[in-house]
This record gives sequence, structure tokens and C-alpha cells, in this order.
Amino acid sequence: MAGIDVAVTGVGMVTPGGVGVVPTWAAVRSGRSPAAFDPVLESNPVRISCRVPGFDPDALLGARRALRLDRFVQFALVAAREALADAGLDTKTWDGARVGVVLGNGDGGPETVEAQHRVMLRDGPGRVSSLLLPMQLPNMLAGQAAIEFGATGPNLVVSTACASGTTAIGVARDLLALDRCDVVLTGGSEALITPLAMAGFAQMGALSRREDDPAAASRPFDADRDGFVAGEGAGILILERLRDARARGARVRGRIVGYGASADAHHMTSPHPTGAGIESAVRAALADAGAGPGDVQHVNAHGTSTPLNDLAEARMLKRTLTGDPLVTSTKGVTGHLLGAAGAVEAILTVLSVDQALVPPTANLTHPDPGIDIKIAVSETSMPIDLALSNSSGFGGQNAVLAIAAA
Amino acid sequence: MFEQFKSLLVDKLKVAPDLITPEATREDIELDSLDVVELSLMLNSELGLTISDDELLEAATVGDMVALMEERGAKI
Repeated sequence: MAGIDVAVTGVGMVTPGGVGVVPTWAAVRSGRSPAAFDPVLESNPVRISCRVPGFDPDALLGARRALRLDRFVQFALVAAREALADAGLDTKTWDGARVGVVLGNGDGGPETVEAQHRVMLRDGPGRVSSLLLPMQLPNMLAGQAAIEFGATGPNLVVSTACASGTTAIGVARDLLALDRCDVVLTGGSEALITPLAMAGFAQMGALSRREDDPAAASRPFDADRDGFVAGEGAGILILERLRDARARGARVRGRIVGYGASADAHHMTSPHPTGAGIESAVRAALADAGAGPGDVQHVNAHGTSTPLNDLAEARMLKRTLTGDPLVTSTKGVTGHLLGAAGAVEAILTVLSVDQALVPPTANLTHPDPGIDIKIAVSETSMPIDLALSNSSGFGGQNAVLAIAAA
Repeated sequence: MFEQFKSLLVDKLKVAPDLITPEATREDIELDSLDVVELSLMLNSELGLTISDDELLEAATVGDMVALMEERGAKI
């Protein structure tokens, strides 16, 4: 939808780097991963994860409210409060009917499901909580945000696995372009570090097994990468049409100037080996932005640290973008936030563009000789006119955002 | 029995303690229908009392719920 300029007027994050945008950005810039042994996974084939440190839902949301929210919804509401405050919007007085909510999520609330499944096996189905369904449904993410903030406009959750957060932002952009909303609260949230879900990821060989050195386990584009480290958290953005944001005197942190989406139509988990699917999404995002392949200076890559993804994505970037952009994967620090990854990385890309600064790809000590792109191994200051944030999900779903400075 | 009921409401459903009086209605202590189902389950699992959610919904006040508990408790 070329010509549609969408402003990011507020951002909020809950990530393994910390609760809030400031600690997350500092952690990402540090290049040090908080990945660690996870007691919840003690009996699992892989026992490391990237947890959100110091997340206290009772203190942040109130004990009565927190009791009825699965962790993935708790993350989103905390991040959304930060984003709304950042945007300077008053939810008490806004026209809620013109406020949409579009959030991404991969797996709903497995923590609630697994806990209630244990109750059923132990005590029978008559003891299962009446809150099982309303707490674990993926769409509750947007439903609870509507309740919390009085947002009565279009309300939906999109699920494209690890592209969910990016897809949500793209759909939010479309809603603004179609004038269905004036404000959209968008992003993604995921809390998937549960024994069953992580056993599934481990069994399919997706996770790094570098248990002797967890902080070095997530190493995108490195020759010794052996899988991702699961993270958890949420990233929330407040989007408005640029002209509306300017008219109300809002601070614009950055602009979403393009969105592209595609499917590999290839395999349920492996990316297309040439990166053909993600290439289509990159090209679509550039066309939407009215930009060419030489106009991109920075890419926040999907960069999961799995052998297949990183190779396919790097080959695609080398082939598709002619301007030799500086690439980073912030997953080296945060781990892979799954359905929240794209949203958190979109915010990090907005911060990069705004601050003219590319954060490092952590743990890139032995670059893969088969990967021929320019990767940020340390923090790099540089002006950025146009950046891309890439995401790909199981099922072969791809989403790419083109992001420019205010 | 009132104190037992109150601690259940406070500990398990996180109801603010100062709201809970014998005269308080379900609305006063902010219990919706899902809370009442949970309460019925908890009375069974914690105190061994069988009181359905429908019966709890018919009780007008906390005091009436406690009276129901005492009645059922006396039977077991």
C-alpha cells in the first residue's frame, strides 16, 4: 500500500533483557545473552532458556487480575501499558471504537493447558478449572487488551508461528490504511517455555544443546550454531497514520513504510533452502515502501541460530539486496521469542533507525564461511534511512516490515 | 466457618480482605460466574463440601454462602 505512512508513536517490551524498553535495549546493545539453566525444564532433553527476569505479575497487574491471565497475556498487558504511556494516549478519554487491537501469538497458553491437564489426570475432569479455556485461547490476547483499555474497534489475533508478531504489525498497518481504525495497538506475545512445548522443540532438533555454556548457545550466523534458545515475552507498538500523529503532536519514534508477506509452500518446518519464500516477502515490503533493493542499510534478520534458517536467509539477503546492508540478529541476546519475536525485533529496528545504531549479533565468534553478508559483530553507529525486520515461521510463513526514521 | 471461607476467597481468588463481610453480596466482592465455579471446586477440594455453583449463585450474601457451608458441613 505505497503512499501510506504509518507512525510508531509508542513502544513497550517485556523480554529476557528485562521488563521495559530501556533494560531490553541496554541488554541487546551489550551483546550478552541472559540464557541460563531453567529449573522448569530440569527433566527435559534441553534445559536452557531465556526467561524474563524479575517479572512479577501480581505487582504489575494486581493479584486478582493476574490470577485469570495466562503468562502470555500478562506479558502483553504489561508491555501495552508501557507502549500507551509512551504514546501519550489516554485510554479513559479516547474514542475506543476507532482503536483496533491486532496481536500475534503462536501457541496460546500452554502453561495453563499443561497445569489443567495434570489436574485432570490426577483428580478427574470434574476438577478442571472453568478458566482453562478463557485463559488459554490465543485470541484472549487481544480480547483482554480490549477489556483493559476500552478498545472496541477491530480485535484479532494472528497466528503465523514465529512470524506472528510481524504479521500482526502488517495487518495493523492495513487496518490504518483502510481507515478502519485511527489507532492500532499491535505486536506479539508468547510464553511457550513449558516442559511439553520445549520437549516438542527439542525432539524436532530445533534447540541448541550447548548446555555447558548457555549464554553462548544462541549464535546466529556462527559456524558453530546448533539451534535456537527459546525466549518469552512481548513487544507492543502503538500505530497511527503519520498525519494523525503529527496533528496531535505525538512524538514519532519511527515509521512503518512497508509490509510484505508470503508462504514458502515447501515444508512444515524447513525453510525453502534458497530462501525463495522470504525473498518474496522482502520484495513485497520494498515495493510497498516504494523502495528498491539498494535502498536498505540495515536488516534485523530472523536469524534464529538454526543451521538451515540462517543459511537460507543469508543467501536470500545476498541475492536480493544490492546495497550491502549491515545485518544483525538480536536473537543472539534475547533468544527466540517465537510469536513475540517479530514484534520485539520491529521495535528494536525502530530504535536502531531512530538512534542510528545497529546492535551486535551476540556470540558471532566464527562466522560461517558459507554466509557472505555483512554482519554486525559489535555495535555500529551509522545513519539508517531504511531498514528491514524479517520473520519466518513454521508452516513456511514469512513477514517483512520496512522501517524508516521519523 | 466464616473465617475459613474468607481465607479461601483471599488466598485462592485474591479478593481484597476488607471487602469480605457477612453482609457483602457477590457483586460487592466482585465474583463473577467463573469465580463461583472455581469457588465450588475449591470448597470441594479444600474443605470436602459439595455445593454446586448454582447453589452458590442463589446465595444472596457471603453470610448466606457460609450458612450453606455450615449446613453441608453438618451433614458430612
